[in-house]
Amino acid sequence: MRIGIDVGGTHTDAVLLDGDRILAATKALTSADVVSGVTAALDTILADAAVAQDQIQTVMIGTTQFTNAIVERRELSPVAVIRIALPAGAGLPPMVDWPADIKDALGAQVHLLHGGTLYDGWPIAELDDQEIAAAIAAIQAAGIENIAIASAFSPMNAAPEEHVAAQIRAAIPHARITLSHHFGRLGLMERENAAILNTTLLPFADRVVTSFLSALRTRGLACPVYLSQNDGTLMSADFVRAYPALTFASGPTNSLRGAYKLTGLEEAIVVDIGGTTSDIGVLQGGFPRESNVVIEVGGVRTNFRMPDILAVGLGGGSIVAPDGRTLGPQSVGHRLVTEGLVFGGSTLTATDILVASGKADVGDRAKVAGVSADLVATAQATMHEMLDRHIEMMKPGGKAMPVILVGGGAILVSEGLAAASQIYRPENAGVANAIGAAIAQIGGEAERMVSYRTQSREDALHAVTAEATARAVGAGAAAETIRTVDIEETAIPYMDDASTRVRVKVIGEIADAPEHREKGA
Amino acid sequence: MKKIDVQHLDDLALGSVFLATGGGGDPHVPKLIAAQALAQHGGVEVIDPVDLADDALVVAIGSVGAPTVSLELLPSVDEAAKTLEAFEKQIGRSVDAVASFEIGGGNSLIPLVAAAIRGIPVVDGDGMGRALPEAQMMSYAIAGVQPTPAVAYDYEGNITAFSTKTTEVYERHIRSLAMAAGGMITTAEHPMSGRQLKESVIPGTLSFSVKLGRVLRENRGAAGDLLAPLQGLFSASIYGACEMIFAGKVADKATRIVGGYDVGEAQVEAFKDPSDLLTISIKNEYLLATRDGKSVASVPDLIVLVDYETGIPINAERLRYGQRVAVFAVGCPAFYRTPRALAVVAPRCFGFDVDYVPLEDH
Repeated sequence: MRIGIDVGGTHTDAVLLDGDRILAATKALTSADVVSGVTAALDTILADAAVAQDQIQTVMIGTTQFTNAIVERRELSPVAVIRIALPAGAGLPPMVDWPADIKDALGAQVHLLHGGTLYDGWPIAELDDQEIAAAIAAIQAAGIENIAIASAFSPMNAAPEEHVAAQIRAAIPHARITLSHHFGRLGLMERENAAILNTTLLPFADRVVTSFLSALRTRGLACPVYLSQNDGTLMSADFVRAYPALTFASGPTNSLRGAYKLTGLEEAIVVDIGGTTSDIGVLQGGFPRESNVVIEVGGVRTNFRMPDILAVGLGGGSIVAPDGRTLGPQSVGHRLVTEGLVFGGSTLTATDILVASGKADVGDRAKVAGVSADLVATAQATMHEMLDRHIEMMKPGGKAMPVILVGGGAILVSEGLAAASQIYRPENAGVANAIGAAIAQIGGEAERMVSYRTQSREDALHAVTAEATARAVGAGAAAETIRTVDIEETAIPYMDDASTRVRVKVIGEIADAPEHREKGA
Repeated sequence: MKKIDVQHLDDLALGSVFLATGGGGDPHVPKLIAAQALAQHGGVEVIDPVDLADDALVVAIGSVGAPTVSLELLPSVDEAAKTLEAFEKQIGRSVDAVASFEIGGGNSLIPLVAAAIRGIPVVDGDGMGRALPEAQMMSYAIAGVQPTPAVAYDYEGNITAFSTKTTEVYERHIRSLAMAAGGMITTAEHPMSGRQLKESVIPGTLSFSVKLGRVLRENRGAAGDLLAPLQGLFSASIYGACEMIFAGKVADKATRIVGGYDVGEAQVEAFKDPSDLLTISIKNEYLLATRDGKSVASVPDLIVLVDYETGIPINAERLRYGQRVAVFAVGCPAFYRTPRALAVVAPRCFGFDVDYVPLEDH
């Protein structure tokens, strides 16, 4: 049996699964200290299902705490940033395009060093040990112990990053170091940004993981604990201490994965309708389709793997214009229960329209008796038209597709949708996120620029796959269960030596013996 | 416009993406470089081509290479100024003003960096009025200006001087050097006298791109509402008519890399009638729009796809199925409608079996 817990900004949800069967589910408010909300949710599901602690094999946690820390600029620790790329990029230092408030919150010290390579492996410059020593001395003098290191083309040659990291560890034994090549993708500034955001979260990650683990231990749960990543896979709790930034956007991912689990549909559109927005995502092979544009986290451009989500300003609390032709993006949000007409408030919301139509029964229906039938019909048509149009934009092809509705606002869809071949409203859709966390597997990804002229395609793909596999095993996957789920090959323009960028993604089941897992770097 | 300051850069970059007609590259990093240079050295004087002395020396400066290869090779702030310095040393004379190769995309910003650091003016104009993929398509080359003597400068400060017999050979050699130097170099090329520049430049495009960016920013919203302000702006410029030729949903997009170009097609289906299709042919840029088998707009006129809800121009590599777009077409500057220009930039030069018909004659 496994437990999935989703710690959101507002709600903490938990589910207890036995194989595919949901034995218990609960939805509670997130507590200020987070941990007491988690233990309360655990107590509820264990009691409801009358299951003993020792029957639980794994606990999976999805949390937005690290994303929120970046967005709200809190719990951030001072960082030193080392970029190894000189003489390239002189005058264009790390964080040059960051919003001032997060730059200030980080209090970062920046060092530009010689080194790194070009796309073809040619060294941009030799590493200079004196220069490295001077940077380390400055970091020591400032008392900084969290250090991000990024070198040009490190996904293809990580030696410069490893070399500098070794020197730092020798001088600062307690240093917490993030190497940018662990964040894979090419694009120096975005990868460097990802490494910096990760580094500033390291001390907080330690505290969060420790408190999660102690909450579980005090409830007698000694099983392995995993946290969900932004691509729908898991990492071991210890791994999160080194890579907290990999949890960014795990919330929408878990919602999509949960919708997949609840319906068994591998190819579908998922619409998660909340109070303020409807988040539309796409399932491909049972996993979220990833976005291919630059993703900003808290105003910082990054290269994170994020699900492709289209947020539409339509939810249960959306404010309805007097003519019914416009809904949202303004919403009364969580104040719906006081401001909506059916709750005795004075604002006409999407929920009021639904109650007036007779399709739902929340609050006091008498309070919407004065809303004209015309207005109700127009507003309902507008809602469906808005969703249809945006679903259409997300669909991977012209054909109608199954649409899975989840979230508290799913009742807004009272009629059919033209873009949908069929509409699914799974039971337990309210805890889709926790279910998504509970069913996650362990993944690994690697990306390299290769030349099919100097290396056969087969050899090159094999090498990149081996690296992705090593990464998955490092994150807690059982090596014998690993399978390749995606190979992406992109030929490089203007290159006549058949240069190709290859990205491989693998997925495997959780390894049984946690002591065999390798800790993160 | 007398001067370009840091606060103009966002508008300039946004306008340059519109004029890039789907190509031109992301101006994000060039904008960061320009912001650093202008913050440190102050704004740049913008000189109208007619105000240049006939015997003044002007050189075009910009980046050459493959952004997909050089994406980890960051430029340095002083690279453009060092390129200029190396060029002056090579020819033994100081340069009076710098100019842009192409206003579409990041190369609209590189000359500003050199000009700011060296304290010389930048010409209000460029060599394309849009984005185009090859050196021989530049108005400077079409008007007979030789690309060399030229100097290329790389990330490490290596300097290579070129003296080639034809523009085509120059293009071939400079691409090889770019690949050997990590995928991207800065070049100072097509040196011109003031008199030559006046005959070959597409004038006013730098200040126009700033104005265009401001119009796009101030009118952010439904593409239909953008048409009137755009028409007002283009009608008072060196460009021709501006029309919204289509609005609909991207029903298909497929491109692949062929001979260094990103080649393919996108289909847009009309909102009201899905059987009404507009086909956009892509070769780095949006080059040809066809409806019912007939060309409705083609290179060298500008074809621009913008997001239907926000009016933000969409780069060809970012265009994908399901996007709701408006398609604008803009008549190109008169220079590109002359026979000698059409000899190198007409649709047939890109392998399309159609003749060029000016936008307003369709």
